[in-house]
Amino acid sequence: MKKIAFVLIALFAILSVVSPALDSGSRADARQATTITYLASQDWIRQGELDLAAKFEEETGIHVDYQIIPSDQYFNVLQTKLNTGEGPDIFGGQSGKTDLVVNYDITKNAVDLSDEEWVTRQDPLVTEQVTVDGKVWGMTLWDTSASWVIVYNKDIFAGLGLSVPTTYDEFKAVCQTIKDSGVTPIYEPISDGWHHVLWFPELGPRYEEVTPGLATDLNANEVEFADDPTMLTVLQQLKEMYDLGFFGEFAMSDAYADGPEFMANGEYAMTVRQTAFVNLVESEFDVPASTFGFFVMPLADNQILNVNPAGPSKFIYSGSEHIEEAKEYLSFLARPENLQYNLDNTPEFASINFTGVTPKYSEEEKAFFDAYADKRGTVYQTAVNYLNPQWMEIGQDLSAMFIGDIEPIEVLQHIDQRRADMAQAASDAGWAK
Amino acid sequence: MLHNKVYPFYFTLGTIILYMVFFVIPAVMGLGYAFTDWSRYSSDMNYVGLENYRILISSENNYIHYARNTFLFTLNTIVLKTILGLAFALLLHNGVKHLRSLYRMIIFLPAVLPMVVVGIIFHSVLNPRRGLLNELLRMVGLGAWTQQWLTDPKLALLSIIGVDTWKGAGYIMVILLAGLQTIPAEYYEAAQIDGANALARLRHITIPLLRPALIVATVLNILYGLKIFDTVYVLTNGGPGYSTEVLYTAIFKEFSKGRYGVGTALSSLLFFVMVFIGYFVIRLMEQGRTHD
Repeated sequence: MKKIAFVLIALFAILSVVSPALDSGSRADARQATTITYLASQDWIRQGELDLAAKFEEETGIHVDYQIIPSDQYFNVLQTKLNTGEGPDIFGGQSGKTDLVVNYDITKNAVDLSDEEWVTRQDPLVTEQVTVDGKVWGMTLWDTSASWVIVYNKDIFAGLGLSVPTTYDEFKAVCQTIKDSGVTPIYEPISDGWHHVLWFPELGPRYEEVTPGLATDLNANEVEFADDPTMLTVLQQLKEMYDLGFFGEFAMSDAYADGPEFMANGEYAMTVRQTAFVNLVESEFDVPASTFGFFVMPLADNQILNVNPAGPSKFIYSGSEHIEEAKEYLSFLARPENLQYNLDNTPEFASINFTGVTPKYSEEEKAFFDAYADKRGTVYQTAVNYLNPQWMEIGQDLSAMFIGDIEPIEVLQHIDQRRADMAQAASDAGWAK
Repeated sequence: MLHNKVYPFYFTLGTIILYMVFFVIPAVMGLGYAFTDWSRYSSDMNYVGLENYRILISSENNYIHYARNTFLFTLNTIVLKTILGLAFALLLHNGVKHLRSLYRMIIFLPAVLPMVVVGIIFHSVLNPRRGLLNELLRMVGLGAWTQQWLTDPKLALLSIIGVDTWKGAGYIMVILLAGLQTIPAEYYEAAQIDGANALARLRHITIPLLRPALIVATVLNILYGLKIFDTVYVLTNGGPGYSTEVLYTAIFKEFSKGRYGVGTALSSLLFFVMVFIGYFVIRLMEQGRTHD
């Protein structure tokens, strides 16, 4: 049995080493018919885009071969291909300056797209996240407008005579009133490990407002997280909310997936979600979306909308033999009529990160986003390097902070430590000893 | 004549080569990698000496705490599983008269279930809001006893120990039952005639004659306990905070963070600890055998 297992393992190992080579052979054959290959993670490609690929083939005769990889394996597969010089013509990747440099070595692996026409129509904040060394390396095609905000039950607020809080003190008073009425103020699923982290980096715009230039200084390693009083305030307030029981008795074991149910049945008054959440509650539990309203997280008296301009993006591989065809395909996808088609045929999108498209917001969402049209800023997991990759570890630190094992300042110190580890491994000049 | 029946050495080469390639060489390389700063973020690897080991024992990282949890887990599960396993084995050996095989099967059943399945089941059983255990306590009027089994930092490790004992006691029972069946009934009869009561028979006959089986069970329990990963991973994933983190979940997290150097250093260290313990336990067993 063991030997058979050995042989199987050996075969598997050999196959996995050889298969990229086999793959390139078949690609060589397909070249005559002009096929461009596109490697992407499964959650990044929606039906709308696949329809457009078919239209592109009709129009130009160029076939786009989508190679979709399960998301938990995608990064390893892509890395292997890039490192062995066998990259696809187009590859997908999560934008964000740190990720591009640290995870994708983008200046080596991708083609400079700065001169493409569509760059001027892409949301400048989004373009910034695919820009490294002053050059644009990729095209983001995503609904980057979906912000994490506090969704609240308007009926509960009205019943208790509460209005939307704009400072932390008001927020605390609102939570206390709701708690005293027998309703749990906030549904905060800590058990998933990632959701409760949102409270911290999503408040980046507020940190930046209090200390202008903070993100730049953090990236240059001139200041550290542990030095920033606003961040410490946010963590202390978060801890206070936990200690006051605003997250409910069962927060530690609550799950993200149960959020719609507890918001629908009125056991909880608020939760941190993206605005499209209310449509989910309506379709699953028959509670009208208009029952809910939105406001920004008011920790540290924040009144700025948190925006994350990073998202799944498309890059052309520098070693590709079809760079021109690949550029042609990206231009095709970025035509206004095709962008609109993509948006209209992708239920998960309410908007798309280009000018000239008509978004699908509800009245409530539209009013909310309009109210913050001039008051928005970039979240810190995107604005600050080496933060996003340690998301889950921050989650564990925050849980330890909630149960009193570590202090808020230690959470910040741990973040600094992990950033230094990553930066040194990546030979970042700011961290050179 | 006999010499002709011995197969030539080269017959074993296939196995030896495969074993070398897939087990010995990677293991030795692993020991080497523990002295480098190998990580996901950089393609070059540098020799850093004992730096990774310094990280492991420094106070800014929690490894001492994880080692303590691992040790607590191992100690408690050894005691609980052995006592419960022995109790079940004794009951099923000469206590219960009917349907013995059925009972044996029922008690052994948890050992057959995959840990992931057990994890999912107990995750829901121990859920504080709607879990079976708390619902049951509320139903019989013991609402005050309900607990946040897996999310209260004081209780979480105990809950994990409880679940693991539930799963593992049947396995230990089978080992001890086999040991019990080798003890001749005459000893008990003779002792009974001499007037030994049940406790005296257990102390002076059963336990001494069961020693080899008990040692085997203990070795298995020690190695299992030190290597514990899946039970913790599926039940709490080290949480809440870091309160139930054990060494192997820490190794797993180091690797997923891309800090391969530290991960290999930690697993090398654990490898030596286990070899060390294993060596002494085996010595102990050998000693027992020569005395016999």
